[in-house]
Amino acid sequence: MSIGLVLGFVLVLVRLVNLQVLQAAELTVKADRQHQKSVTLEGARGTIYDRRGKVLAMNMEVPSVFGVPTSLDNPDQTARHLSPILHVRTGEIEKKLRQDKHFVWLARKLEPEQGRRLEQLSLAGVGVVMEGRRFYPKGPLLSHVLGFAGMDDRGLEGLELRYETFLRGEKRVVVLQRDALGRAVFPKGFNEQAVVAGHSLTLTIDEVIQYIAEKELDEAVNRSSAKSGTIIIMNPKTGAILAMAGSPRFDPNAMAALNPDRWRNRALTDSYEPGSTLKVVVAAAALQEKVMAPNSMIFGENGQMAVANTVIHDHEKSGWMSFAQMVQRSSNIGAAKVGMALGDWRLFDYLKEFGFGEKSHIDLPGEVPGLLRSPREWGRRSVASISMGQEIAVTPLQMVTAVSAIANGGTLMKPFIVSEVRNITGLPVAHTLPQHRHRVISAETARTLTGILEGVVTSGTGGKAAIPGYRVAGKTGTAQKVDPRTGAYSSTLLVGSFVGYVPAEDPQLAMIVVIDEPHGEGWGGVVAAPVFRKVGEQVLNYLGIPAEEPVKIAMTRAAF
Amino acid sequence: MKGIAVAAVMSMIFLFVWERVDVVRLGYHIERLKSQKILLERERDELRVKLSSLTSPERIARAATDKLNMVLPEKGQVVLVHLEPEVPSIQRPSTGEDEVKVARNVPMRRMK
Repeated sequence: MSIGLVLGFVLVLVRLVNLQVLQAAELTVKADRQHQKSVTLEGARGTIYDRRGKVLAMNMEVPSVFGVPTSLDNPDQTARHLSPILHVRTGEIEKKLRQDKHFVWLARKLEPEQGRRLEQLSLAGVGVVMEGRRFYPKGPLLSHVLGFAGMDDRGLEGLELRYETFLRGEKRVVVLQRDALGRAVFPKGFNEQAVVAGHSLTLTIDEVIQYIAEKELDEAVNRSSAKSGTIIIMNPKTGAILAMAGSPRFDPNAMAALNPDRWRNRALTDSYEPGSTLKVVVAAAALQEKVMAPNSMIFGENGQMAVANTVIHDHEKSGWMSFAQMVQRSSNIGAAKVGMALGDWRLFDYLKEFGFGEKSHIDLPGEVPGLLRSPREWGRRSVASISMGQEIAVTPLQMVTAVSAIANGGTLMKPFIVSEVRNITGLPVAHTLPQHRHRVISAETARTLTGILEGVVTSGTGGKAAIPGYRVAGKTGTAQKVDPRTGAYSSTLLVGSFVGYVPAEDPQLAMIVVIDEPHGEGWGGVVAAPVFRKVGEQVLNYLGIPAEEPVKIAMTRAAF
Repeated sequence: MKGIAVAAVMSMIFLFVWERVDVVRLGYHIERLKSQKILLERERDELRVKLSSLTSPERIARAATDKLNMVLPEKGQVVLVHLEPEVPSIQRPSTGEDEVKVARNVPMRRMK
């Protein structure tokens, strides 16, 4: 009896040693395989905020629907149930469900509402998993700057592409323990940490200013049936971009059907011949080098001047005029003479100093340097042409940055658009400070030039940019485009632009408006200057910058 | 003496078993709370996206102009003024019997 008991125990002991010691390694692996499941977890992509913390782009978990065709008895019935929820034709779903597969995607990244309806149906052989989807809640607002992320949550364009390494969430394979029912149980070890979401970006863009800029630009482009338009608003003191828009816009939530041409950010990927707006820079150089003073007299040759076997014309025929009048009337002949007085190299050096011909290194992808050739490659007419804004290609961003340097008293700033990168707990990871590139002109020269540029608006070509109550300084530009058919300057294909800043005594906004190929009157003073006025007026109101001139308010007293 | 020892060993065993069972129970509880947290976070994100799209300036402007018949202020209709920091004192030339009603339920007072 007792021998039997001892024998029994010995038997059990032998079996235990066999299982627990001898086969331990092998069996542990086998057991783990049965109750462990490894899942790839991915942290959510970071959110993008405007300067006031408004959400411009964020991730949300949305349902994706898959089917298990092999476990379905009645695919056509399942397809009929799914069709109205997925908005896909019954036949198409049925075709997918009839495949001989264990897994097939039926629809990906749906609206949350669709997921809830599917859960209510709880169809057999149909499952729902949650996937992160990028939302742009403001629709087309700021689309050219934000860019977009693709189906796999990777940034493909704009800020989404440039800041991909910051925005992307952590991706990690996590091992979960399952019980007999497949539910997740306590993970191994207590120190298991959730995957970390991507960093968030805070932009210098202001949602409201951006909206005003886009609305007015769209309207101007539509009114003149132009090909496209660009607007940039910058804080001239810091180089921070307050608004940047292109027209026509696009909706980053619905990218599929669009031509890549539509989402290019023309503010920095396309260069154009600036025309007369470049005279601002030529004038700055001439004043700084003391080649000209505001009251220096220039002879306007009565509207025609021969240079290197070609003839330069003026829109408005002038005789003798002062340097200031030359800028205000936008005389080509006057500008050419100023350029010649400066000489090739000095003109080139100043253009270079003002940032033309090289990238501004703003934190956006796709920037082009424009075209500024060295005087060694210039022809005999070049100095005259460049002085009036031909034979040089600039981006709207370069132009507004250069004019900002005049607005802020002579310092070229580096433009930037992301002011802060924060991690998921809200701690700053990176912070952008305004960056001075270098001083281009003296504060004195900047002040003198501002006075002249105010004259452009009060008594020159930029009258339509005037904002009542504020001092506006700026310059119009109308450039002829090269007709691709003839290879010569076209008289109908124009680029109308206006660049300026306000209030002139203490500039808060520097703005450029470029309208490409407007129909009808294409003058910068006609198509672009009114946009400056409308946007400037609303933005100054929004920012609460009071008018300089005292406003008389009629006081009435109620009689009782 | 023997009885106490047995009781002690038994209670040790029970304590051990109870502890193991409770760890599992808590494990399930934590998992349940975790999935609840995920659901709540999902709802929060959904609401944030909704809030952001509902407060978009474009939508508000459209609602204001189309539904509420509001218009953008015309040129010169908005006047921004410098606010003086000190408390404004009402100083008007005395006009004799002039009485000003300040607001309802406020006793009439004479203006100096």
